Amino acid sequence: MNYFLQSLKSVFVKDVLIELRSRQVLPTMIVQGMLIVWVLRIASEAVSSAVTVVGPVALWIAFIFSGLLAQERSFAAEHDEGCINGLIVAPIDEGTIYLAKLLVNVVMLSVYELVLTPIVMLAFKLTLSGNIGLFILVLMLGNIGISSVGTLFSAVVQLTRTRGSLLSILVLAILAPMMVPATFALLILFNVIPPELAGTGALAFVGTLKTAISYMAVFDIVFVTACWLLFGFVVKE
Amino acid sequence: MIRRILLFVNLILILASMWIALTIGQIRGPQANPDSVVRNIIYAHVPSSICAMLCFVVLLVASIGYLITSKRTWDLLAMASAEVGTVFAAILNLTGSIFSRAEWGMWWTPSPRLVSAALLWFLCVVYLILRSSIAGSADKKARICAVYGIIAFLDVPMVYISARYMQDIHQPSFSFDAAGQRLAFFMSMASIVLLGALLIWIRTDLLKIKNRLEEHF
Repeated sequence: MNYFLQSLKSVFVKDVLIELRSRQVLPTMIVQGMLIVWVLRIASEAVSSAVTVVGPVALWIAFIFSGLLAQERSFAAEHDEGCINGLIVAPIDEGTIYLAKLLVNVVMLSVYELVLTPIVMLAFKLTLSGNIGLFILVLMLGNIGISSVGTLFSAVVQLTRTRGSLLSILVLAILAPMMVPATFALLILFNVIPPELAGTGALAFVGTLKTAISYMAVFDIVFVTACWLLFGFVVKE
Repeated sequence: MIRRILLFVNLILILASMWIALTIGQIRGPQANPDSVVRNIIYAHVPSSICAMLCFVVLLVASIGYLITSKRTWDLLAMASAEVGTVFAAILNLTGSIFSRAEWGMWWTPSPRLVSAALLWFLCVVYLILRSSIAGSADKKARICAVYGIIAFLDVPMVYISARYMQDIHQPSFSFDAAGQRLAFFMSMASIVLLGALLIWIRTDLLKIKNRLEEHF
């Protein structure tokens, strides 16, 4: 267990240090996120009465696309410098490498969420009505879901000719089902759908905030486990 | 020889089910237009959906088989089932879209089964794109595709559960009024599933030959 934690820490610290020294990814992510939000805010002016509905959608779109930038770099840097071979021959389990990379991507996306969420709330006139703890939980579950799939496929696309452009279609296809409950949960937390109405009457078909959060948790558990188990096959030489 | 016989039987089954579907098994409707024959599309639509699902199951089994044994045949089977699955998923979506336009007045709407069907097609197409863009050895290509095949399969039940958050416009089930309709349905089901199995079989063999040629030249 100690060895596992030590190896996890080594890879994690290495990647965080690289980012702190180069400051390559996070500024790009934040600027891209702000641009996405800005464009969607302008576009949503066409239906100014429904601008709050677009807010949560904008938030998830920005998270996915900016998350892709961080995830793509996490293995691109290793391949460009040939470091991936060193990582593979090091006495570290491949699964541990995956978990460390996942952790780095989750941390990067969390910092990004910290910056972007207030901007989205201001731009789309959103006010948090529910529990802030639940709000953070929803963002973190979404973050882990996006990062788990993105980290695995980042390693996959390094072996292809098209790299980044392929990563987006791989990740979007797999993440599609999580986006519906994730958006639904934010719509309730921002009071766009009043929580007392969710799961009743005309909204009976949609479930409740609790079921949406449970769905996201199940999605995360399934995909983190599957990606962790399968990662070894991707990097094996 | 067995394959030729099966292909012949399949052809007879397809022709017979079409004939029954258009005569004693014909379904009329929708209510707004009682003379419309659009509902007969169900004889191609439902079997295609079953066949696309079965192709996905074969893709999963073949992907796991390859990762365990590293035998090339599993990889070729996975590739063939993804190709055939793409074709049936495309038929499923196209026939569904035609039915949707006639019955509900729109070409597509985000309803659980429609979303699942569209995702099924996307996942198959992404598999083919991924396969064509991997550089390197055949083993690497096969391993990466097998990993994607398993992850993609896990996504299908997830989309079905997430469909709880959308309103369902789709027919929950279809009841048949006449014995002829039931016969036509089961015959078309048998013929299309058999066609799918034969296509996977033939395609796997073709890929094996192509593979052998590539190894020699």
